[in-house]
Parts: sequence; C-alpha cells; structure tokens
Amino acid sequence: MITKNAETILSVQGLSASINGAQILKGLDITVKAGEIHAIMGPNGSGKSTFSKVVAGHPSYSVDEGTLDFKGKNLTDLEPDERAKLGIFLGFQYPVEVPGVTNGSFLRLAYNTVQGARGKDELDPLEFDDFIQSKLNLLGMDASFLERSLNDGFSGGEKKRNEILQMAILEPTLAILDETDSGLDIDALRVVANGVNTLHGDSDAVVLVTHYQRLLNYIEPDFIHVVDGGRVIKTGDKSLAHELESRGYEWILEENSSSVS
Amino acid sequence: MFHIGKNTRSRIISKGISAGKSNNSYRGLVKVSPKADGARNYSQCDSMLIGDLCGANTFPYIEVGNKSATVEHEASTSKIGEEQLFYFLSRGIDSEEAVSMIINGFVRDVFMHLPMEFAVEATKLLGLKLEGSVG
Repeated sequence: MITKNAETILSVQGLSASINGAQILKGLDITVKAGEIHAIMGPNGSGKSTFSKVVAGHPSYSVDEGTLDFKGKNLTDLEPDERAKLGIFLGFQYPVEVPGVTNGSFLRLAYNTVQGARGKDELDPLEFDDFIQSKLNLLGMDASFLERSLNDGFSGGEKKRNEILQMAILEPTLAILDETDSGLDIDALRVVANGVNTLHGDSDAVVLVTHYQRLLNYIEPDFIHVVDGGRVIKTGDKSLAHELESRGYEWILEENSSSVS
Repeated sequence: MFHIGKNTRSRIISKGISAGKSNNSYRGLVKVSPKADGARNYSQCDSMLIGDLCGANTFPYIEVGNKSATVEHEASTSKIGEEQLFYFLSRGIDSEEAVSMIINGFVRDVFMHLPMEFAVEATKLLGLKLEGSVG
C-alpha cells in the first residue's frame, strides 16, 4: 500500500557490485518505502538475485560504487548478521541444508538473537513452542517440522515454506524474497502468498524477486521494476507484469537500447 | 573390532572434525575370525572440514576370514562452507555460534549415546577447541 510521507526503508542509488572481479550490478536505483510491495523482474542473468544478496550482505559480492541505505543507515560496512538484526530478511532461492541441526533449535536461536538485538525478551524453549505454533498454523505446517534437520531432505515446497516461517518469526522491516515462487505448486504458492500478505503491514516493506507474473496474481505489488544488465530499465505498476507476461522482455530491452543510442 | 563368536554384530561411528591447517585420519581394523559365522559390521566415517586448508582421510582395514560375514563401510565428507555460514548470518546468528551449532549437529549421533555429564563436558570442550577457528 502506498501512503504519503511513509518512511524510506531502502534507498539504493547508483549501486554497482561485483563478484570475483565481474561486475554484475551497474548503477541500480531503487527506493522502497514503508507499506510498499515491490517486484523485481527481469531475464536470467540480469542481476536480480545478485541485488538481493548484496542487500543482505553476501561476502562474495563487493560494493564498488553507489549508496545502499537502510532507514538512512549505510549498510555497506555492516556484516550480514548485523543487517539481520536491523530488520533485513532474505528469503533464499536455494535454502541450504544443515544435517543434524534441528529446525526448531535453529529457529529459536535466530528468534532470540534478533529479539535480543531489538531489546526484547528472549523466549525459553517452552514459551517458544507456544509462540511458533501460531506461525506454523498460518503456513499450514505441522509441528513435526521443528524436529527435522534444517532443510535436510525437505521438498522444494517445504523449504520455501520454511523460509516464510522464518520471515514470520523474525518480523523483518524489509523482506526480500528471492524467487520464492520457483518450484512451488499452485497450492503451496497460495499458502506462501497468503503468509506474505498476512505478515505485511504498514510499517514494513516486501521486495519480491521473481521470473513470473504468476506470484503477482496472489501478492499485489505497488511497483514493478524490470532489471537488465544490472540496472533498472523500466518501472511501472502491476499492469506492467501483465504486459511482460504477454509480450516478454524483448520490447522493453529494445525500447531501452533505442532510447540510449 | 574383532568378531570371534557366531552371529556377532558391531557398529562403528567415527566423526572427525578438521579445522585450520589440520588433517584428520581414520584408521580402523575390522577383523572377522573364521569361526564367526553370520558376523555383521557396519562402519560409518563422517568428516567435517572447517575452512580451505584442512583435510580428512579414511583408511578402513578389513580382514574377513568367514564367507558368511557382512562388513559394510560408508564414508562422507562435509564442509562448513560460505553459503551455509551466510544462511545463519542472514538470520542474525554470528559465525561463531553458527559453527558451533553446525558442529554440534554433526556430532549429535555420537554425543547422544554418551552419559549426560560426559556429553556436557564434551560439548564444552568442542566449543573451546573451535573458538576462533573461523574468520
């Protein structure tokens, strides 16, 4: 929802970033305000996933130029865990598997660490059990999820649900969901979208990184950005997604290249 | 591990952790004597590497003197990689805590069979040993 005078949550200007010397982002601009949902779309290799990793602070990427501010605070020198404590959340495209670490203990540690950083009370295991039950219900997950090893042997849909579960308990100010819709069947997509819609409010923002318009049928974005060659080449409202679905990316790429030359 | 009697069974679980520039080797002999009909052994060797400069080796020795014996060996190597650490970090968990959590998960199969007091001590010792091994 777009509201006037909303606080700017993420301000990205002229952001250039590289990995192993290869420049992926080349002057990317995006401003995200509280209450808004943004969708970032674009062809393969356009820099969408890189953008989400750079915001979360992945150590392989280095920021070469531009600004990356979260609520007016410069992020570039902060470690990923410090960014998480500030309220940035990245929903992984490929959540990693960690055998032997139970999902429940991982979630509790993450929750208590972030709560502690926000000056709130930590929960003991029993209190946490009660707290997480309501979140599990929201996503139609069974309590047996907590006993299993973190993402180990999870199906694609279960992994993505688990990402949204983490989003639900960490209550981030900025949630970036990197291709959360890929590998989901329609039912799972609906559950995940419903979860995101329920969690999203006036004081936080969501950025969806996606290939397909399908997800946007369930989560309505306020803005859509088309990224190519590491830059935003077009920004529009949700009607842009429909146009992309029917016409592909080609016309925007051409429009863009002709306007440059 | 020596199998002398008939229908004897044994299981070996080895968990090795290598950090820094260390190298860890497992050497284990499983011997089945000619009289040990139907003897069974299962050995599992898991190694975990922390960082890029360490290594792990597994040298299982098997001497079987009885045709009806079954001897199995399985080995795996896993590594605490950048992606795994980044996942924990992005949830607000710092790298020391992340490593200790991953390691404790790794040794859980073995530690859960230890007497309570010993398991507590072993966990603490592991934490001490690995302090500062990441970074």
